[in-house]
Amino acid sequence: MSAQTKVDPFTLEIIKDSLLAVGDEMFIALAKTSMSPIIYEVLDYASGLTDAKGQLLTQGNGVTGFIGMLSTMVKQTVEKYGQEGDLNPGDIIVINDPYGGGGSHLSDVGLVMPIFYEGELIAFSANKAHWTEVGGKDPGSFTNDSTEIYQEGLQFPCIKLFEAGKVNDAIVEMIRANVRFPDLSLGDMWAQVAALKTGERRLQELCHKHGKESILAAIEYLLNHGETISRQELKKLPKGTFTAKGYIETDGIGNGPFPIQVKVTITDDEFICDFRGSSPQVPGPVNTSYTGLLSAIRTIFLAITNPDQDVNDGAFRPLKVLADEGSIMSAKRPAPTSNYFETMLGCTDLVWKALAPHLPNRLAAAHLLSVCSVTLSGNHHDTDEPFLIVEPSAGGWGGGLNQDGASGQFCVLDGETYNVPVEVAETRYGVLIDEYRLRTDGAGAGEFIGGRGVVRSYRALTDNQSATITYGRNKFHPWGINGGHKGSLNEFFVHRRDGQVEGPFGVYPRYPLHKNDVLKLMTATGGGYGNPLNRPAEKVVKDVKNEYFTIEEARMIFGVEIDPDTFEYKELPARKTAK
Amino acid sequence: MRVATDIGGTFTDLVYVDDEGKIGIGKSHTTPPNFEKGVINVLKESGVDIGAISRFIHGTTVIINALTEKKGAKTGLITTKGFRDVLEIARGNRPDLFNVRYQKPEPFIERYLRQEVEERLNYKGEVLTPLNKQGVEEIVKYFKKENVEAIAVSYLHAYVNPKHEQETVKKIKELWPEVVVTASHEVTKEWREYERTNTVALNAYVMPTATTYINQLQRELTEYNDKSKNYIMQSNGGTTTFEEVKKVPINMVESGPVAGIYGAAYLGNLIGEKNIIAFDIGGTTAKCSLVEDGEVKISTDYYIEKDDRNAGYPIKVPVVDIVEIGNGGGSIAWLDSAGSLKVGPESAGAVPGPVAYGQGGKEPTTTDANLLTGRLSAKNFDYNVDLEKVKAAVAEKIAKPFGISVEEAALGIIRVANSNMLNALKLISIRRGHDPQDFTMVAFGGGGSMHATALAKELGMKKVVIPIASPVFSAWGMLMTDLRHDYIKTYIKRLRNLQAKEILAEWEEIEKVAFAQFANENIAKEDVEFHYFADMRYLGQEHTVKVPLPEGDWSTGHIQKVIEAFHELHEKNFTFRLDDTEVEIVNLHVTAFGKIDKPEISKISRQSTIEDAHIETRQVYFENPNRWVDTPVYQRELLPINVSVDGPAIVEEKSAVTVVYEGQELIVDEYGNLIIELEEN
Repeated sequence: MSAQTKVDPFTLEIIKDSLLAVGDEMFIALAKTSMSPIIYEVLDYASGLTDAKGQLLTQGNGVTGFIGMLSTMVKQTVEKYGQEGDLNPGDIIVINDPYGGGGSHLSDVGLVMPIFYEGELIAFSANKAHWTEVGGKDPGSFTNDSTEIYQEGLQFPCIKLFEAGKVNDAIVEMIRANVRFPDLSLGDMWAQVAALKTGERRLQELCHKHGKESILAAIEYLLNHGETISRQELKKLPKGTFTAKGYIETDGIGNGPFPIQVKVTITDDEFICDFRGSSPQVPGPVNTSYTGLLSAIRTIFLAITNPDQDVNDGAFRPLKVLADEGSIMSAKRPAPTSNYFETMLGCTDLVWKALAPHLPNRLAAAHLLSVCSVTLSGNHHDTDEPFLIVEPSAGGWGGGLNQDGASGQFCVLDGETYNVPVEVAETRYGVLIDEYRLRTDGAGAGEFIGGRGVVRSYRALTDNQSATITYGRNKFHPWGINGGHKGSLNEFFVHRRDGQVEGPFGVYPRYPLHKNDVLKLMTATGGGYGNPLNRPAEKVVKDVKNEYFTIEEARMIFGVEIDPDTFEYKELPARKTAK
Repeated sequence: MRVATDIGGTFTDLVYVDDEGKIGIGKSHTTPPNFEKGVINVLKESGVDIGAISRFIHGTTVIINALTEKKGAKTGLITTKGFRDVLEIARGNRPDLFNVRYQKPEPFIERYLRQEVEERLNYKGEVLTPLNKQGVEEIVKYFKKENVEAIAVSYLHAYVNPKHEQETVKKIKELWPEVVVTASHEVTKEWREYERTNTVALNAYVMPTATTYINQLQRELTEYNDKSKNYIMQSNGGTTTFEEVKKVPINMVESGPVAGIYGAAYLGNLIGEKNIIAFDIGGTTAKCSLVEDGEVKISTDYYIEKDDRNAGYPIKVPVVDIVEIGNGGGSIAWLDSAGSLKVGPESAGAVPGPVAYGQGGKEPTTTDANLLTGRLSAKNFDYNVDLEKVKAAVAEKIAKPFGISVEEAALGIIRVANSNMLNALKLISIRRGHDPQDFTMVAFGGGGSMHATALAKELGMKKVVIPIASPVFSAWGMLMTDLRHDYIKTYIKRLRNLQAKEILAEWEEIEKVAFAQFANENIAKEDVEFHYFADMRYLGQEHTVKVPLPEGDWSTGHIQKVIEAFHELHEKNFTFRLDDTEVEIVNLHVTAFGKIDKPEISKISRQSTIEDAHIETRQVYFENPNRWVDTPVYQRELLPINVSVDGPAIVEEKSAVTVVYEGQELIVDEYGNLIIELEEN
């Protein structure tokens, strides 16, 4: 508080806003210059500023899954380079080690830059982005049947990429030699470096304008502000202990399902998520590090407390997350972690499920519950150049109190994530997309219905293409609430050119496709909210007219008999008893 | 005589310039839903001789209103088979990251009115499946039954080859001549099916409204004058005729606001300032745009209802590149739950308005803060101001929680509002690699002149211009416009493989279309001027940089120059270049101006002295250091030409106030603009 009394509250507010604007600027600069669709369309990256200790000040996010991972990178940097003189202006550190500061998988490459002003280390600028390629056994690097981290690509264990402004060419050459699309990976690396430097320059400008003391006071003010808002929201939550159980379906190499569980305890000043007693780490790549778990829980914690706020470490001070060391959600080296996000999602879903019945204004029924990642490689039919699709799939979200679920949205660990337009995909890749439409499968009925899943069908235009599909939640359906029906499953089929149909599958490595084979990807419809017999009949008529549900479903599930020509309707007796 | 009218939320503004170059202004209430009445009213009330109008230019909010109020036509959509949900899936993004109850924007067209037809092109525009005309017929029958009023057609890859869309439109017109129909390639030729489909859907949606409005306005005007040439303001900063705009009415989506930006560029040209930051503050928002070397920047990355929590709706038509934030005179000052002071984006609007209006407003606003710090005078309001009430509101909501005086709280509101606007101004300048010191700020709108000098100082700018007619400057800008059409076409080509012949054929094709369109508007070939651009990127990137191509030359020697220009612009925008990486064109962009004669703005003469202009000396509360300062207040219309006035000073005019800080120097130039020189920082 002593520092704050010196600076007037409006100046602090103005500096705080300027810090947030710096975060935005760093974020946008990276997307605009990146070489990889996974960055500029999926926005699978984050960038921001931390204080000198590694406390997050501001983070621009494309996806929620990285929330908190910038801090751990900086903390590892501070630990490793803690002696006077270890860090110098112009240094940039590269990290992707999941068990160290990285936290996710090797594909997410983080860069950290110390920011000095008048010779003093005042903050860090950091970012982390999913490179299309970091080497490893499969194209696209992250895969669903690795058994050791060594198969998943190059590891950067918190080393200096730049020393005092000069790039270490040896590292650059190592990258160039070890990845499949070096122009993409290095292009992204330069984009990341440029964004970090922008952060450095802007923070120094702020120090120059307002004075270092004011900036440091504003940083403290910012963190306290985040904490205050979280604590106020915490006070409004129901107190007690809430539990949920679930499964991680498969590790990708035939094992599973693996039981996981949570006990959420909410008190006046703490929000504790205890995952102890869940499955130990597993042979396949669905393990996540504790850092990954923490990011997952931070996401759902924000959804519950205050989805609107600007995020900083202060907001998470009331949050505690417990897990057994060496468990599937707190794995140890050298467990593979390529598909860490599926376990993050499983853990997010448990907290969500435990609290949804008690917080209808913040939480809806279950959504597709998987990133539904697709990796498709092969050669372009016209240029014969190799192509590589790496993308998540959009699906249905759950119905909630007073609202139907959204259709065709990416999962909660994605965010400002964009699908790849059909016209762009057909230009760049050796495919034709036969359809991209909503999936109407009768699932997710309710007073408020779940959002529709999506069907996207890739027709291979060359031989010898290879698809690695990770559609989690292929066995356990998205749950409904208060009598709402469950949603459907994520699954895919392959329609061979000779008419044979293979599937359904969920997780599958390197599925071979030849010219005119069609890979039909289908994502889940979300869970419903409330008894479908209570959905107003006019809405059911509209659903039928819009072909979200059939006439048969209207009668059987919603108890509304509809004339297919005139759309006149009659409510069936079942509806009376439901009320 | 030339007359421009600009419909705003509350007022319809008018500016005219007569044959002697004399400028006059008028203001009248906006009259929804029959907006044309307000136009006729303002014409009559301003004393303009309607029969003497030779050119009439109009800016309207009819389109944006129809969209935001969802009051357009019942619209049907026809897409390629397999893709009718393109409007509903959209891009799948969730800007409100941590909200798991996020609701995506609802499509303007419901699913049962989105129908599919068999047809398919590949990415090169080759036909894979021919158009099934029988299918079109069935859909038309169905749309008739459903009483559809407008039809949008959008097929995959139509930006490369519009053949199937054209055939579909032709078929629909044969079957159902009365219905309104529009196809995606007529509105935008850029790739990305969701954005293009949404654009054509919205074009169809507003078409009947636009046609009705323009026809009514035309009828009313013709009653008084059947010789005047009538033009409408488009979002690209130029005009077109009433007839042309009915074909693509979505081009009017930002009809009014962009004219101020164009006006700032035009004025800059007149007074020798080529690099301008145009800055416009209204009641609820502030808008800014950067003009470099006299060129108004446009882009097609335009959305409605998009913010940091909502995905909004893309409209891929050329719109002047404006950054808009929710900070205007009516923006409300409030404390968040942790006690931080925020200003906006919520606004008190025109009703009830700021506390000062005495119309029931209870929340303190930026205008109230400007009043309490002496920047505004209670005497200069259209309302009877109860100063005690204003003080009480600021005291209770802001000053007390912080334990500070009312004037400190008021100054805090102004500083936070300025900080918001500063971030927007930085966004268009510093963040895009421009140094604000190389630019002059032209500030207008009701609040622009009040905040401009403080902001320019923060940005290290040297000069601020408060133009003549600044409160109605958008209408002034319209008076100076040319006809303008932008032709943008996705054309993916690596520069290494570029055949000059091929790309020149593309230019020629675009020019041919432009000449034909201008011929419809009675513009002769020799009055057409082309500006060429290419949107370019490094191979593998997604986002592009717009590279001006002054000569439109693609000869082998010149291509190297184009590549170098791209490297330089990329470095300017993003701080780095990749010399070894291949460069690719994504879009060709031709801006075509149909030049028309402009009114000469006459210089004014005025036999007044500073003393004549001096109204009073009052206390104004300034920042840095915070204190009350005795400040002379002048009447703008009475300030002598080319006589310098040192700050601090206040200049008042009807509906606006200019604040001049200590160390700044003001003169009125011979056109009546206020020119404020800032001391070197």
